[in-house]
Amino acid sequence: MKYLPRRLILVGLCVLGFAVIIVTNNAQAISSPENNTLNWGLVNLLTSNQAKTISKLHTSTLPPPAKQDPCLHCHIAGEEKGLWTPTLRWAIFGTVGIIFVFGIVRESTIWRTRAPWKSLITRTSEWIDERYEISNPLNKILSKPVPQWQRRWWYCLGGLTAFAFVIQGITGIMLAFYYKPTPEAAYTSIIFIENEVYLGSTIRMIHHWSANFMIVLCIAHMLRVFIMGAFKPPRELNWVSGVLLFIVTLAFGFTGYLLPWDQRAYWATTVGTEIAGSLPIIGDPALILLRVGWNISDLTLSRFYGLHVIVIPAITLVMMGLHFMMVRKQGIMKPL
Amino acid sequence: MNDKETSKLDETTVPFFPDHIGLEAKVALVFGIFMIAIGIVGLINPLGLQSPADPMDTPVHVKPEWYFLALYQILKFIPKGVGASLPVILVGLIFIWPFLDHKPDKSRNTTRNRGIAMLVLMVVFILLTIWGELS
Repeated sequence: MKYLPRRLILVGLCVLGFAVIIVTNNAQAISSPENNTLNWGLVNLLTSNQAKTISKLHTSTLPPPAKQDPCLHCHIAGEEKGLWTPTLRWAIFGTVGIIFVFGIVRESTIWRTRAPWKSLITRTSEWIDERYEISNPLNKILSKPVPQWQRRWWYCLGGLTAFAFVIQGITGIMLAFYYKPTPEAAYTSIIFIENEVYLGSTIRMIHHWSANFMIVLCIAHMLRVFIMGAFKPPRELNWVSGVLLFIVTLAFGFTGYLLPWDQRAYWATTVGTEIAGSLPIIGDPALILLRVGWNISDLTLSRFYGLHVIVIPAITLVMMGLHFMMVRKQGIMKPL
Repeated sequence: MNDKETSKLDETTVPFFPDHIGLEAKVALVFGIFMIAIGIVGLINPLGLQSPADPMDTPVHVKPEWYFLALYQILKFIPKGVGASLPVILVGLIFIWPFLDHKPDKSRNTTRNRGIAMLVLMVVFILLTIWGELS
């Protein structure tokens, strides 16, 4: 017996732990009363008064409660009823326990693999890379050199628009959990979001203002690109996709504006669809397509809701993907 | 002249990750903090709603969203068909602009001219929006 194998130490520790748990639990279990001779099947048939007298009888005839065993937990916990002492105790013992478990896991992994220890993140990334071989292309993307002249605030406008879109996505999903797209329920569900939902008014405010900022940032980004002449060859398609993204952003704003279903929303949409309806040839079909009929009704609301939460986000994501890939491929235009 | 201009650009590079993405994250963080501040304002003073939609009751001042307000203001003065097709033509023009203006020209003059044109367009847009908001 040159050395005790680690496996045996582990098993021994586990057995010891179980033994401690079983012994302490048994010590507490013995102290429970066992003299209960009441026939509980009969209790259901008795009237309440009879039941009371019988239970009194029984409690009076019961032997005095057994002397409380010195319970290990109470001994450790003491009589302290405050908040901080047990919390601190839990924190200290918990930390020690976590370190102990971590040590055992780490030791056991060394023992199992006989290889130098690696963190779980490294192991996971290696596991994925073995199968899908993404680390090389990913490194290539991530280590791309960025010239210092590109690190200016006016090159951030497009990225900020995308960030505003992400904020819109997150807060929009949160709002969609509570919003009901019917004329009867839409208004009250917004009031519910404002007054009852936890941080509901915050989320709605952020969604509202982030939408406005997104349009402003989009226009600012377009102005930057246009004035610097970044739309020139070979970046024509990137400009085209950008204009499409701008139209889509306006469509987001236009469809989202109706959803609260209050007077402002209703009449703004009336005016907006009227503008579309006064187009020379395609006016009437456009109006009917937008309003689902000649007037703004419940169908308009569901159509706008569907467009706002499904169709337009999907188009935006596709166009954004193309836009970013083209920027990545061609790089930012070098000024002058 | 040209040499001077190019030497102004700092050609030294930094890696995209983590240097450049860190800068972008900082900018995004500032924007995020700004948004959270607006959210706190919303917590204290919610956005609120007007009265429920009523097709029978037209309000005195009917206005579209602010980004359509300039167009709405134009529509008050010119025939509807022309006014409505104006933005469609404008967006179509913007859409195909790189195919119309495709000569590789990086001179300072054209950049300035485009800047002036956009400045005028923006000033007109903002003035029309303010006018529409006030009327």
